[in-house]
Amino acid sequence: MDILTDTIAWLTTADNWWGPAGILQRLWEHLQYSLLAIGLAVLIAVPAGLVIGHTGRAEPGAFALSGAARAVPTLGLLVLLGRWYPVEAWPVIVVLAVLAIPPILANTTTGIGGVDPAARDAAQGMGMTPIQVLTRVEVPLAAPLILAGVRSALLQVIATATIAAFAGLGGLGRFIIDGFAVSDDARVYGGSIVVAALALVGEGLFAVAQRSVRPAGIRRRRAPLLSAAVPIPPTAGGVST
Amino acid sequence: MTAAPGGATDTSAGDVAIRLEHLTKTYPGAFRPAVDGLDLAIPRGELVALVGPSGCGKTTTLKMINRLIEPTGGTVWVEGVDIRTQPTHELRRGIGYVIQQAGLFPHRTVGDNIATVPKLLGWDRARMQARVDELADLLRLDRGLLGRYPAALSGGQQQRVGVARALAADPPVLLMDEPYSAVDPIVRAQLQDELLTLRREVRKTIVFVTHDIDEAIKLADRIAILNVGGILEQVDPPAEMLRAPRTDFVADFLGDDRGIKRLSLMTVGGASLSKGPVVGQSATADDARATMAELGYDWVAVCDGDDRLLGWIGAAELDGATAVGGLTPKPFLAVVTADTTLKAALDGIVTSRTRVAMAVDGEGRYLGMLTVDDLAEGITA
Amino acid sequence: MTSLAARPPSWSGFGFDGNWDVVWYYILVHLRITALALVLGAAVAFPLGLAGYRWRHSYPAILGVTSVLYTIPSLSLIVLLGLGFGLGLLNDKPLIIALAIYTLAILVRNLVEGLRAVPDSVKDAATGVGYTPLRSLLVIELPLAVPAVIAGLRVAAVSTISLVSVGGVLGRGGLGFLFFEGYRRNRTSEIIAGIGASIVLAVVVDIALVLTRRVLTPWTPARAVR
Repeated sequence: MDILTDTIAWLTTADNWWGPAGILQRLWEHLQYSLLAIGLAVLIAVPAGLVIGHTGRAEPGAFALSGAARAVPTLGLLVLLGRWYPVEAWPVIVVLAVLAIPPILANTTTGIGGVDPAARDAAQGMGMTPIQVLTRVEVPLAAPLILAGVRSALLQVIATATIAAFAGLGGLGRFIIDGFAVSDDARVYGGSIVVAALALVGEGLFAVAQRSVRPAGIRRRRAPLLSAAVPIPPTAGGVST
Repeated sequence: MTAAPGGATDTSAGDVAIRLEHLTKTYPGAFRPAVDGLDLAIPRGELVALVGPSGCGKTTTLKMINRLIEPTGGTVWVEGVDIRTQPTHELRRGIGYVIQQAGLFPHRTVGDNIATVPKLLGWDRARMQARVDELADLLRLDRGLLGRYPAALSGGQQQRVGVARALAADPPVLLMDEPYSAVDPIVRAQLQDELLTLRREVRKTIVFVTHDIDEAIKLADRIAILNVGGILEQVDPPAEMLRAPRTDFVADFLGDDRGIKRLSLMTVGGASLSKGPVVGQSATADDARATMAELGYDWVAVCDGDDRLLGWIGAAELDGATAVGGLTPKPFLAVVTADTTLKAALDGIVTSRTRVAMAVDGEGRYLGMLTVDDLAEGITA
Repeated sequence: MTSLAARPPSWSGFGFDGNWDVVWYYILVHLRITALALVLGAAVAFPLGLAGYRWRHSYPAILGVTSVLYTIPSLSLIVLLGLGFGLGLLNDKPLIIALAIYTLAILVRNLVEGLRAVPDSVKDAATGVGYTPLRSLLVIELPLAVPAVIAGLRVAAVSTISLVSVGGVLGRGGLGFLFFEGYRRNRTSEIIAGIGASIVLAVVVDIALVLTRRVLTPWTPARAVR
């Protein structure tokens, strides 16, 4: 029980929250890395996914990429970056973005590609231009799946950013790394709790966003909210939902 | 026990394979029972079709026989035994079950699929192999298919495997739940014909659910028409039911072409033939004209020396001719044999120029003529 | 012959030469952790999955709990397990358990979905020919769920192999140690060797699982099902 009381003490000490090395500062750094990386990834992956899903070309490539990315040991990459670009945040953010692209790409592709062809045909039959079909029919219908991909990617980025502290970056991982170095268990534990809380809050927000984005009238899937975090592996090309 | 409305179903216990006694099924929360107190006896060796509109409970009734659905009231007797006295899986191993999508196990070869129940019953390998081969031949399945997986087979072949699997352990009773509804019409007709042939070789008691009254008429020894709620409207052999439907519901269900449906159950062999205007090749034109006048037709049929039917010649062509032999007879559109159904004959009659069908034997020799009047007599007899 | 009990060999110099035995040593450590995590995860996923399949109302709860755990980032989970349950951070146990939890989350879902994906007509037929529910599960439903389970296993295996090296932050984690040391001692070769070995390991295991699936499911066409 010692570790618990120490940790609670650490978490409730005001000094630990404020200041240049405080929890809030680190949280802010963490959010910066994560949101910038995700933003970059979305900018690249979503349009690419829209194109690939719509035209159906290069689809296997998109999924292969997703599978391949999973095999990369992120700590190794981060440490390499730490060697080549010490203390610089942008290379890390770029790498985080690159790692976040596959799940978003795969989900967007499946989402667009999985839109009921009948709906697409009807839209074209009504006289919508391809862009209109995309924006008024395909994207709204694929939105939940696309969001699920972004959600999964964000989770991954938050997790990887935590590890990035090892290679000299800021963020919440600093508490874990530095605390471990000096055997300050309370700091390590406290930092882990804050990271976990960040991840859970992010997931929760996304779950709500996903529900509100789902076009009214589409039947809810049986699976509960949080289950979307777990990736359904590609069987016939399906991805995280 | 009340007798079911309709024909001879008061058979003694020994001749009844399955007896449904006041069978009831009410689903929890439902206003009305899906099946309400059904009494029905299935005679041994007969194929009884359960037919009716949706909601009539025909599939529910079928599934209560092998306890896939548990009755909420009443009893089912199979071969004199109350089915509740047996463990369900034992009951089912003794009853063959064929369903619409065949339900073949995709991860087992065709041969293994067929051998499912024998394996459950613990047969030895040699016996199972022999039985599988026997069934493959019986169901007209190429033995080469036995080692393949179901996915490689066509819909029709899969259905045949489904039937083979149901027959494997030689159960006395077979339950078939709309087995041919999921295949295309051509394959369906084939499978139906094969079932008829099969029954000539292997006599089993079959309860057959279908929504297609024509299928029931074609296949069944006895049809049981159910109304919504499992109410038994009539149970009779098809010909009898078509001749005398007991209620308006039955009449409606049979369709407004009842008479013609009856014709599909009768063959030319059983009908009486008329005398037709026929002359031999060697006849003169005057002979031909005389025959036409005598019987009141504007054409004559021509036979060769062996009585084989060659065709017909119209009155117009005879003008100016002296002998029949010099003219070329036109072939008859409707030529029937003893096996042809009267319905097919009617189709030929109605669409032909001569408005008759000519009956011939196996060698093409003229036997007689069939007119629409002859058919009408056949129905009303 | 390298043995895991012996003292780990040290990287010498800045190049690759003469260091292959070091890489091999840590590959073995890495595999051990991976195997333990996968086996543990699968062992728990199996009964949980069957329960979720058999008792439908339990499935959302099971899924909810595993999903929440899955959300927790790897390093954080390792620490929470290590410090929260008194396992300490200086051994492999928290890492193995954390990875087992991730594996579990993936496999439970795949097992249940795989079982549910068995066509109703096949399940009906199985009951109809007289299989007891237990036997039907063992010889019909589970075998037909194998492709889905292996698909999940592939994701779990590859993710686990990649995540094991996160332990390098704490100075452990199989090939992760090469990242740890390579960083501290400025040895790029060590880091690259670790990355390469990890990727190769993941690819080999993935291929092995695909081949296993082909062997176990002779009835499915060998189309590339990703």
